[in-house]
This record gives sequence, structure tokens and C-alpha cells, in this order.
Amino acid sequence: MAGRRKCFTFLDHTADLRIRITGPTLEDLFRNAGLSLMEIMLGKRPRLKTSPQHLSVSGDDLPDLMVRWLGEILYLLDGENKVVMDIEINAISEMHLDAALHTVPLDPRTHQVITEIKAATYHQIQVAPTGNGWQATVIFDI
Amino acid sequence: MRVPGLVFANDELIRSIRQDQSLQQVANVATLPGIVGYSLAMPDIHWGYGFPIGGVAAFELDKGIVSPGGVGYDINCGCRLMTTRLRADEIHREMKELVLALFRNIPTGVGSRSPIRLSRSEQERVAVMGAEWAVKRGFGMPRDLERIEDHGAMEGADPSVLSERAIQRGRGQLGTLGSGNHFLEIQAVDAIYDPEKARQFHLFEGQVTVFIHTGSRGFGHQICDDFLKEMGRSAFKGELPFELPDRQLACAPLSSDLARRYLAAMACAGNYAWANRQILMHWTMETFLKTLSITPEELGMNLLYDVCHNIAKKEMHQVSGEETMVCVHRKGATRAFPPGHPLLPEIYQTTGQPVLIPGDMGTHSYVLAGAAGSMERSFGSSCHGAGRVLSRTQAVKKAKGRAINRELEDKGIIVHSRGKHTLKEEMPEAYKDISQVVDVVEAAKLAVKVARMRPLGVIKG
Repeated sequence: MAGRRKCFTFLDHTADLRIRITGPTLEDLFRNAGLSLMEIMLGKRPRLKTSPQHLSVSGDDLPDLMVRWLGEILYLLDGENKVVMDIEINAISEMHLDAALHTVPLDPRTHQVITEIKAATYHQIQVAPTGNGWQATVIFDI
Repeated sequence: MRVPGLVFANDELIRSIRQDQSLQQVANVATLPGIVGYSLAMPDIHWGYGFPIGGVAAFELDKGIVSPGGVGYDINCGCRLMTTRLRADEIHREMKELVLALFRNIPTGVGSRSPIRLSRSEQERVAVMGAEWAVKRGFGMPRDLERIEDHGAMEGADPSVLSERAIQRGRGQLGTLGSGNHFLEIQAVDAIYDPEKARQFHLFEGQVTVFIHTGSRGFGHQICDDFLKEMGRSAFKGELPFELPDRQLACAPLSSDLARRYLAAMACAGNYAWANRQILMHWTMETFLKTLSITPEELGMNLLYDVCHNIAKKEMHQVSGEETMVCVHRKGATRAFPPGHPLLPEIYQTTGQPVLIPGDMGTHSYVLAGAAGSMERSFGSSCHGAGRVLSRTQAVKKAKGRAINRELEDKGIIVHSRGKHTLKEEMPEAYKDISQVVDVVEAAKLAVKVARMRPLGVIKG
């Protein structure tokens, strides 16, 4: 992740967290969305030796795929205590993606959760191409 | 819209309500099939996802729907208030020590692990028995149960409908406070509005109380997530006979098997949350006893009441002049049953149900009592808090360069939190004026003010 630029911005929302994510390709967009989620929750993560893990996600369309994808990453953290450090999107279509995740165990001594996110919501979810890439807007319940 | 929207507010509150998209959400809810009366919003309404936060809607059982987005991810997020025999001036000197001890003894923040590890069968028992499970294991007393909405256990909980993920997320989180706007607060009663009801609630001026605000943790989040996805998929395939105005309003006809399974799973999360608050109360009592070196009799910590403010329930209400069973969704709204309601325990038959309204860490909280107007106007519901007025990013920006914990300490409020970030997001200016919110509730005769508490010490995730 060395040199990775911040690829999301906070948008206004009264109670929850609304962000815009961008990426030059659809693969980049989904990778950036997953890494943004980790960055919002954990801030800077110390670089530790990671373990690889394969993940396949299916959705009804791109917005559904995005919500389900982010839900998987959230579950890894809250259900399996795994922090995603890096992501490679190996294949993606409108309804399916295959990814390789690189994770480390959540350790309270090295990780501080700065924002608890309960879920990625469908409310006003958008995933669409722009003139020079892709953009998504997601509201998280926190 | 199938019914009109109705927002309880005053001129000042409605000005801030108009600044976000919550009124559109009231309109969206009004389009859902089987809705009766009004799509309602309490004065603490703000922009949520799907339903507005502060939204109340009731649906006919035969033509209506149930929507997980009308309950929220934190199923049975709610409040519990304990009274004590202590006076605030008696523990003034020990306050710092007490708050620190609570912070050490109550697991707070994300990833915090409870000392309680549940086997699968124990977790299923928690999901069915709720607070009684905790009482049977020595957390609190049997008499606590009648002082909890639904006696701390919703009927119809069925663990066989839960996903493996929900079980997994719930396993290590029973007995944790969580993060965000959840808190545990030591307070002092500083105003009594209704002396007779206050006497019956055992509240007196200067008294130390403890307020707990938390819910069903990752267990509830996962259940909501599971069913939203299933209902969303069903809507996507065109299986609903109407168009959803917002995907987050995914729902299922109340007569369907999917709705039955959701309500059975939701009840499991509701019961988990009641067990959670019961356990946290017990650890709070232990911490007070040890830190202050006093006896249980001297402390006199008793549960006043425990209410949920994110739930869907089948209740009897007047619809077109007839008593009708409807499914009431309360998302960021508190039940406020009046005196004489058959679902209230004997001890609250003459007072009405205690309604607990938390402030934020810098402002007052309130105890109200349910009033008859709630049954006439709001399906037995009231507000649930102050309601945000600043987004979290706006709050963090406004708090830049400020030491929020020091500002609070200057006001006599000791705060311990896992991170400074939460304190900034939850700073007092981020919320509406809670006194205006409860005044609107009282003016609309949904509930009456009984007492007000000011914060002395707060722990947050």
C-alpha cells in the first residue's frame, strides 16, 4: 500500500457517514472502496505479515455488488477479527467479483478502531462510470 | 403517498429538520403498502437511511409489510436507567476514580471483547430468554424483569432462522458497550417536574442515577444485514407488487414466510440486547460497590426501567375507530404507553411507562412518563433523544484544536473514551437542544416530563 493516495472523500450526512470513492477502473473502484472502509475504521494500520484469502461476491447489479462486497470486509473484521491490508480484484462483472485479500489478525495492541461502522447501506447508493473512470457514493451506518 | 406525513416539532426544530433529507424519508415511508394513519416523525427526527431516525409507522397485518430498515441495524438499541440511594455531593470526590473504574470494567469500543464467551447453545438461550438468561446467571435480580419493556424477552424469537454469521458476531459481544453514540453515564437528578410520578419512580433531586445506552451489537447488525439483502433480492426480482422508493426500504409482506423469519430473528437480537444491558448494569453495580467501598444497601441501585428505541412490534391500536393489531415500526422512537395500559406492569399502571430520553455527554437526559395522547396520535410512541444537527464530519471540523474532554471537565463532567475522535463526533454542539425536543413531546401530550438529570461522568467507546 506504499504511496497509495487517499481515494475517498467525506460527503455531508447528518447522522451517518457518506463517502464518495473514485477509481480509474471498476477493479480500482472496488479495491479503493474496500481499503477506504478499513482506513475509516482503523486509520493507519501497521504493516505486518499478511495472510492471503480468496473472496467471491455476487450481487444483483453493481450497487448491490458494492454493498455486499463492503459487507464481506466488515464481517471479516467484526466476525472473524481480520483486518484487510490489501486487495487485488482478479475478476469483476456487474454481478460478480473475485478478489484476493491480504489480512492480519485484529490486535487491540496494534489496531485502534476509530470509527465503528455497523453496515454499508443501500440508501442512495450509486456506482457509475464518470468521464475518466468510476465513482461510487455509499452511506455507512455508524 | 398512501397516508399523510405528520412531524411533531416546533418552529425552530422544523427549520433544522428542513435542512436535511429526513422529510423526504417520511414521504417515502408513506408509500409503503398497508401503512395506516400517518407516516410519523418525532421531534428528534433526522436523516437516516430508509426510514428517518425518529420515524414511526404502523402497518396492517394482512396488507402491510415489515421492513428491517424501519428497525435499523442496531436492533433494540435502547436505554436503561438505574436509581441509587446516593446523593451526587456524597461521591463528588470519588467521581474520577469511579469513571475510570467503570471504563476498566465495562468493555467499550469496537473489537473490545467480553469476558463472557457463549457456546452456541447458550447463545441460543440468550436469544430466546433475553434478560432472564442474565438474571439466571447472577446478573441482577428477578425483580428487574418487570422493569424491562416486554419483561426483557420478546415472544417469537427463533434461533433456527439465524445465519452462522449472526451467531459468530454475537458470540463474543454480549456484555460490551460498543462505540459511536453508545455510552454509560453517571448522572445527578437536577430537576423534578412531576413530584408524584417522581416519587413513584423513586427519583429525588440530587440523586445519583446511571444511564446505559447500547444495543444488540454485531449480532443485531448482522441480522438486519442478512434480511435486508434477502428482501432486497426479492424486490429486485419484482416479487413485490409495488416499487420501492429507496432500496434501503426493502421489505416483505407481513403475511409472508420471509417476514415471519425476520421478526423471529429480530426478536432474538432484541432479547440479546436486553441481556446485554442487564449484564452491564450488574458490572456497573459491582464497580460502584468496590470503588466506593459501600454495601449494596447503602448503594441501593435499582432498575427504574429499560426501553428499546429500534424495534418492530405487533400491538393493538385504534385504526379508523377500531381496535386493530398492527405492526408498529419504531426507528429512533421510544414506546410511551399511558397509565392503565394492559402491557404495563402493576408498578407503572398509575404512572404510565417510564420513557428514557438520553442527552449527549454534555447535556441533560430526561425521564418522561407515557401519556394518553401517545395512543391517540403516535401509536404509543415518543422521541428517543436529542437528534443530531451536525454531521460527524462537521462536528470533527468544529472541534478541531479543541480538547473536548477538558471542556467537559470544566463543566464538571468526567469523560473517558477509547479515542478522541468519538468525543469530537459526539460533542454537545452536534445535537439539537434536547429540552426543545421533550417540550414538544409534552406539548403534544405523548408523554409528560418527570425529571431531568445532568451528566457527572461518562464512558464511551
